[in-house]
Amino acid sequence: MKGVTTYMYRDFIRWIRYRVGVISSLVLPAAWLLFVGLALPVTFTGNYLDFITPGILVMTILTAGISSGSLLMFDKILGFLNKFLAMPVPREDILVSKILFISLRGLIQATIIIILAVLIGATLMTPVQYGLVYVILFLFGVFISAFSTTVALYLDDHDSFAAFTAMMTMPLFFTSSALMPYSAMPGWLAAIARVNPLSFAIDAIRDVGAGSIPAVPILLLLVFTAVVVVLAGYAFRKVTV
Amino acid sequence: MTVIRTESLTKMFGDLCAVDSLDLSIGKEIFGLLGPNGSGKTTTVLMLTTLLGQTTGTASICGHDTRLAPEKVRDCISYVPQDMAVDTNLTGRENMLVFARLYGIPDPKDKVDELLGVMELSDRADDQVKTYSGGMRRRLELAEALVHEPEVIFLDEPTIGLDVAARRSIWSHIRTMTKKGMTIFMTTHYMDEADQYCNRVGIISHGKIAAMGTPKELKSRLMKDVITVTVDGVYAPVNLEGTAFVGQADGCISFTAENGREALPQLADALKQAGNTVKAMSLREPSLDDVFLQSVGKQDEPQGFEEWKFRMMLHGRH
Repeated sequence: MKGVTTYMYRDFIRWIRYRVGVISSLVLPAAWLLFVGLALPVTFTGNYLDFITPGILVMTILTAGISSGSLLMFDKILGFLNKFLAMPVPREDILVSKILFISLRGLIQATIIIILAVLIGATLMTPVQYGLVYVILFLFGVFISAFSTTVALYLDDHDSFAAFTAMMTMPLFFTSSALMPYSAMPGWLAAIARVNPLSFAIDAIRDVGAGSIPAVPILLLLVFTAVVVVLAGYAFRKVTV
Repeated sequence: MTVIRTESLTKMFGDLCAVDSLDLSIGKEIFGLLGPNGSGKTTTVLMLTTLLGQTTGTASICGHDTRLAPEKVRDCISYVPQDMAVDTNLTGRENMLVFARLYGIPDPKDKVDELLGVMELSDRADDQVKTYSGGMRRRLELAEALVHEPEVIFLDEPTIGLDVAARRSIWSHIRTMTKKGMTIFMTTHYMDEADQYCNRVGIISHGKIAAMGTPKELKSRLMKDVITVTVDGVYAPVNLEGTAFVGQADGCISFTAENGREALPQLADALKQAGNTVKAMSLREPSLDDVFLQSVGKQDEPQGFEEWKFRMMLHGRH
């Protein structure tokens, strides 16, 4: 546990000292919400902000989660990872610290989006609903960051990782249910969107917004996340350079 | 007492044998592993620090097998890679605190203060590391490596890229560590440093130890004096009694001689008779460079080097 908190402390200080990074990670999601939420001429729903906010939230967590691998990649390229791996601290602490740091940072970004969305006209939800939204976002964040960190562990250089990121982020976002409901999609897109893990989280958040408790999706998300974290932890324990 | 022991330690990368049946036995000393690029130095260090598994053979540190008890090995070592991995937007003290906490030191703040003092960084401890010089960053890394009082420290090219004064200071700190009973296992390219500071050196070539011993022993294995000759054009070999050919590097041909003063004029004559145009000759005592040249021979670039990439890189600079 000491290892996890210490690695998180290190990543946190590095992040807040890097001011451009802080500003960009806080402004970017807000910009997305404003441009997409207010600018798109939409006819299929009454309050598009209520519809798009879950999509922007999940996309923000996706981008955050992917950047977890980026953090690890830099540690690897700059020689930190070798130092850490040669220490008696449990190696999976590196993984857990990255996951927690990135997921919590993602939740800070999510909070900004939620506040902003309400300010510009989204429906205010109850504390329980917000609690459920945070649970879903956190689980999804852990899922994505565990995955991307493990991918970064096995890739050789930052260019490969950047290629992986590009390959993941945009296609996943545009083939998800983030921007439009299944009914408004062409058939082939709807088919892809229904199996896209992003849609899974987005739909769950929309269910929360609609007043139901998506117990089954949350449970499934929990199971998937647990599986990925266990596999990733095993990979970290066994890794050689 | 043996601190680091390897028995037929071997690492294959596909068909390439990076480290070939290495047998080492290292006690409390400064041991320098010397070798050209791609000779297996770093692979050896990575195996000894539990970062890479060997193909066959065994290695143990302080009696713990690197494969069977890697956690115990990690407890008693520190590893400082050559990359200078310090967080530049953290202060020196914050960098140290991260390490002290990771190692679970009981009083991290006191320990950090103490080591910053030892490494002469106290007055800059609260400045961000990006304002530090290369020498200071290296000293900070050494301070980090000392935080849990390890028995063995692995240093990969500890003085690379540092100026003369910074190197001297790093070496004096390394010497102090060995006085406290630590074992230093280091790799270096700098023969003069290895000669001056290492208790023993091993010269590795193509994954095998080509020569091992104290710098003095190795030098005395060569004959007494070294004559270096620069010739115009291609060197035509000569054979003169009382001298021996050592090797050729950068257009300089080296010979050893029992008695350099007498051999020098004779060698000059012999070279001329063989058809060489001698441009310069000099006489000196043997250095570790000569030992290295003799052990490693003419150096080929390692197999991983791709010339076209290198050329592309050079073109990109224009």
